[in-house]
Amino acid sequence: MMPVFKTPFNGYSVRFSPFYESRLAVATAQNFGILGNGRVHVIDLAPTGPVINELVAFDTADGVYDVAWSESHDSVLVAAIADGSIKVYDTALPPQSNPVRSLKEHAREVHGLDYNPTRRDSFLSASWDDSIKLWTLDRPASLRTFREHAYCVYSVAWNPKHADVFASASGDCTVRIWDVREPGSTMIIPGHEHEILSCDWNKYDECLIATASVDKSIKIWDVRNYRVPVSVLNGHGYAVRKIKFSPHRRNLLVSCSYDMTVCLWDFMVEDALVGRYDHHTEFAVGVDLSVLVDGLMASTGWDELVYVWQQGMDPRAS
Amino acid sequence: MATTQPPSPNSNDDKPQPVSEAVQQSNQIQQDVSPDATKQSVPASVFVNSEPIREDQVSNAVKFLSHPKVKGSPVIYRRSFLERKGLTKEEIDEAFRRVPDPTPSSQPASLNPDTQTKSSSNFQTQAPIQTPQPVAAAPTGIVSVGTVARRQFHWYHAVSAVGLLAASGCGTALLIKKVIIPKLKLWVRKVVLEEENDHAKKIDAKPSLAEEAAAAAKAAAAAAADVAKASQEMLNSKNEERTRFEEFMNLMVAQVQEMKSMSNSIRKLEGQASSSGRTFSDHDDHRVTASSTKQPYANGKVDVNVQPGRSSTPPASAEPPHPKSYIEIMEMIQRGEKPSNIREVNDMPPNPNQQLSNPRIAPRTKPWETQNGSSQVLRSQTSAEGLNQNGQDNGLNYLVDDESSMPWWQRKNVRITEIENEDEAKAAGPYGVRTNELAPVQRSWVPPQPPPVAMPEAAEAIRRPKSAPKETATQEQLADDQTAARPSEVSDELQRITKMSESAGAVEMNGGFPSGNSIAIQEEGNSHEGN
Repeated sequence: MMPVFKTPFNGYSVRFSPFYESRLAVATAQNFGILGNGRVHVIDLAPTGPVINELVAFDTADGVYDVAWSESHDSVLVAAIADGSIKVYDTALPPQSNPVRSLKEHAREVHGLDYNPTRRDSFLSASWDDSIKLWTLDRPASLRTFREHAYCVYSVAWNPKHADVFASASGDCTVRIWDVREPGSTMIIPGHEHEILSCDWNKYDECLIATASVDKSIKIWDVRNYRVPVSVLNGHGYAVRKIKFSPHRRNLLVSCSYDMTVCLWDFMVEDALVGRYDHHTEFAVGVDLSVLVDGLMASTGWDELVYVWQQGMDPRAS
Repeated sequence: MATTQPPSPNSNDDKPQPVSEAVQQSNQIQQDVSPDATKQSVPASVFVNSEPIREDQVSNAVKFLSHPKVKGSPVIYRRSFLERKGLTKEEIDEAFRRVPDPTPSSQPASLNPDTQTKSSSNFQTQAPIQTPQPVAAAPTGIVSVGTVARRQFHWYHAVSAVGLLAASGCGTALLIKKVIIPKLKLWVRKVVLEEENDHAKKIDAKPSLAEEAAAAAKAAAAAAADVAKASQEMLNSKNEERTRFEEFMNLMVAQVQEMKSMSNSIRKLEGQASSSGRTFSDHDDHRVTASSTKQPYANGKVDVNVQPGRSSTPPASAEPPHPKSYIEIMEMIQRGEKPSNIREVNDMPPNPNQQLSNPRIAPRTKPWETQNGSSQVLRSQTSAEGLNQNGQDNGLNYLVDDESSMPWWQRKNVRITEIENEDEAKAAGPYGVRTNELAPVQRSWVPPQPPPVAMPEAAEAIRRPKSAPKETATQEQLADDQTAARPSEVSDELQRITKMSESAGAVEMNGGFPSGNSIAIQEEGNSHEGN
């Protein structure tokens, strides 16, 4: 009994709220994000049945590529817009008061956002203008700009244990580790021969980081010995768009790909692929695992659908 | 590992020494710091690369950077290329430091085209001394062209300089062979003929004159032949040089072509598209590679990736099949049409100084943060509360059915629960039926004030002391099956819970866990859920 939520635009990203078990935010963009408007949906899972209700939706002039919930304010979320701005929304305020902020500094599309889960006071934005910016909600201007990548930065991820450390994945085929206290990157991992679209840290071993690339593979790296990956996960038929380590299981991670599937992996076992969901009928571009509910996962794709299901069940079952 | 650096080949550069020493120090613990080792207050941070500089990598990088074509490319692409080859920041910086300046100097960089050009030009300038002037003019011209090319620093200048040099060498050789030598011969013959004509008059002087002239002519011819040979040799060496350069050129030319085609299509598309024309799509397809370090990638595309791209849709056999409407929209954009479904949306904040609403819930600790230490407490709390939920009426509106009384999103497949085998999995879990699973530890109650977890700043800034539990239990806490099975655990954990609640001041639970309490908590939690 897994519900589906239909969005008018093509899905780009889905994120569970860190405060409410049943709440998610969805980033969508019209016309596949090529050109057009965007919309941020805040949706709730109805406890009574497999139904998803929309709490509120915010329209944007340009496509929304990513969305992230604030870790300090339960009703606040930030959205990455294709026109280079970042919008801040507060769902506790009436819709006509939203957005509460528009942070415009990036010269190109903002593609990724991540909110600091340990210090909870700041967030990062990854942009196609090759830079990463650090922001807090109470300031209209960014605190730092990290500019070293030679190409678009697709994804940025805070380390779950070290509040000052984060990683960025770029189209220049490298992943860089940064420390906000340092002026430049502290480590460069030339992880793949092709663009790296997503990176995420292991929540239980803060030295492990996973990277997903256009080369269809996912690699797990240990920063203490980054010349050789700990594990290489093959199985996707096309580029891997997003990966996320499980907040509840040390070895589990989830990925979604242009091969329209969402896969579950256990990178410590020989046969790493432990689950595959092929419910999407177009590119699967967004996936998330709930921090509050073990095993609850959500995905979205260009087929304009958002699925939420428990690991082990068929997302399409109804 | 700390290794001693071999002396740098550039003895005139004293920088490598302190850097290598600093790197050695940083290998052990990062106490101290050279300006390059950017780790001040972090002792032995694992997120910093602490490898020593590898001399072989640095010298390879120096060779790469000394190539004239590389010198013409933007610095960011040179760095990116070296990064992709696995060089560390320190090694790249060192290589940049060592690369010779544009003005020619005695740098020991191998395959230095400047040196080659200079030596060949020197050689050529010497030759004219023995040969007539016209021969000398050509090599000198070549030298000046070469110098000009070097100063300008662009790869295409270098290419054209090399080509010009080669062509000039060929021309010189041909010229010498075909024109100069016959001219010399004719001149010699003419001189001899004239001498014969005037033989009667200058018989005495003639033989000597003729002999001298003949000897001079022969010497000149021989010198010209030598020059021809020399220029041929020069040509050959140039060819060899050129083949060596080709190896480097192949790297850069392909990249530059990609860059050019990309920038062309960007310009084209930006010119066509009416608005921001971000016509990007996804990485594996259309898009023109923007970075010089792009390589054709796995999905069978050549020139790809560039998300921001734009697209010149390269057809690739292994390209992920795009939705038909996607392709239609791309074509529309390329024709300059705008899709008709776009509206004018004003998404600017109505009040840029709008205050954010106050948070209603305290942030929850993450499951991985509470793994050790207080994780026990959390889990026990969970199970204890779950115990109380057992059989209670859920005034909370969720579905009560045969399986369990909790929201559908928490029910899990039995199959999955069997797969999951974690040690700590004894939790009843507010999250449901799982028997073997790792308790998600995550609870909806206020984390303790004195942080057993390392979040002091967050605690100060964000947490407010709560008198009543805000997030304690929500309707998810139900575990009828498990809780019944673990009474002993619960009783042990009661003690800890009591302590936790006292310290937190959040949850008022004493030994007995009266049902009323938990219901109150439930409802309170529920009220937040209904937010």
